[in-house]
Amino acid sequence: MASKTELPFNTVQSYTSSILIVLAALLLGFTNGPWYFAGGLLPALVSFLGTRELLDKVRKANEQKCFLDEQLIQSRKLADIGELSSGIAHEINNPLAIIGQESEWGIHLLQTDELRDFKQVNDLTDSLREITRQVERCKEITHRLLNFAKIETLLQRVDVNRLVEDMTKLVERETKQHRIHIVRRFQKDLPPVVSDAPLLRQVILNLLHNAAYAIQKDGAITLTTRLADQGQVEIIVTDTGSGISEEHLSKIFNPFFTTKPPGKGTGLGLSICQRIIDKLGGHISVTCEPGHGTTFTIRLPQLLDIRQKGEV
Amino acid sequence: MENLRVLVVDDEADFLETIVMRLRRRKIDASGVDSGKKALEIVENERFDVVVLDVLMPGLDGIETLKLLKKKKPFIEVIILTGHGSVESGLQGMQFGAFDYIMKPADLDELLEKIQQAYERKRIHEERHGLSGE
Repeated sequence: MASKTELPFNTVQSYTSSILIVLAALLLGFTNGPWYFAGGLLPALVSFLGTRELLDKVRKANEQKCFLDEQLIQSRKLADIGELSSGIAHEINNPLAIIGQESEWGIHLLQTDELRDFKQVNDLTDSLREITRQVERCKEITHRLLNFAKIETLLQRVDVNRLVEDMTKLVERETKQHRIHIVRRFQKDLPPVVSDAPLLRQVILNLLHNAAYAIQKDGAITLTTRLADQGQVEIIVTDTGSGISEEHLSKIFNPFFTTKPPGKGTGLGLSICQRIIDKLGGHISVTCEPGHGTTFTIRLPQLLDIRQKGEV
Repeated sequence: MENLRVLVVDDEADFLETIVMRLRRRKIDASGVDSGKKALEIVENERFDVVVLDVLMPGLDGIETLKLLKKKKPFIEVIILTGHGSVESGLQGMQFGAFDYIMKPADLDELLEKIQQAYERKRIHEERHGLSGE
């Protein structure tokens, strides 16, 4: 979004005081001799350095603000989309349920004595079964969308290393079959966090799932845990997969955004991860070097600062 | 911990018996049933806090049982027992509200720890909704 930071005022203007003092020194030099000029330059230098430092601080503050703005816009956008889609899901649920029930009733009717001898009874039964199956698929999506809107967090002490290790063990046998090696880089003595364990497990599994999908065969997933600054705990998932193009990268947390073929993914996984981490008071981000795989970084607050947020 | 009641659901009779017995030896009030259907029936009549649920069962499988169980009794916490584990089924379980996974053959200490955490979560959940352990 705002990648280039604009300073709030013109650089030349900011140095006006320094320039004026230099001019004054020149004037003094002309009228009273060169020593006066040299004496006038000292305050000009001080003024110049002071202004430069100030400008630097303003620039840094501005960059920080842009970063935070971007985060805020992103999480608001997702919350809006989430609300909208759960509203739609709610509306679609009832007609879906009726379609499902009616087609099951149809299957039931086809088994009655009067209809059993009907010539195309098998074809019709098959097609009704297919309707039921597809309705089930839709229901699963609406179910996930509704959950998306009402993520409720329950906070407990969580040993992050243990949690990540458990999920790794769960998927390792399968990843091994695809010759995907899992590398663990867990920081020892990582302090516990207060968080929602099942939700975090869901996020980790999702990231592992995506990483394995991006690699397909032969590669490595590296899992890192570490204590970052401000006492935050970081979980980093890096894969050696195909990577994500820059245009996709900015949309990756949007609901329904997917690069998988239709029917293979709903595009909800990462948006749900984002919502969960947001709810837990943390932050999730993605970086990617084209051709060198993708890295997801989760930052979680450690202890008391999250309590309030989660207990709403 | 005195009130904690655990239900183990697994179609393998040997495994079921052993694990229920070992939990009881650790002073945990545990019962066992051998199908998802029976699990859904028994939670209607008795109070359970934590269900340890096998994922691979004939008839109603673990994930289906989990879905119906959470619908009936949203406060019950479920730990899924799995033999092989896979990314897809793991994700499904967590999406439908499981608390955690444990790989077979479950280590008893590990299982106990997970059961305790699940129980703690259930109590926090009930407290928030103004219930107190029934």
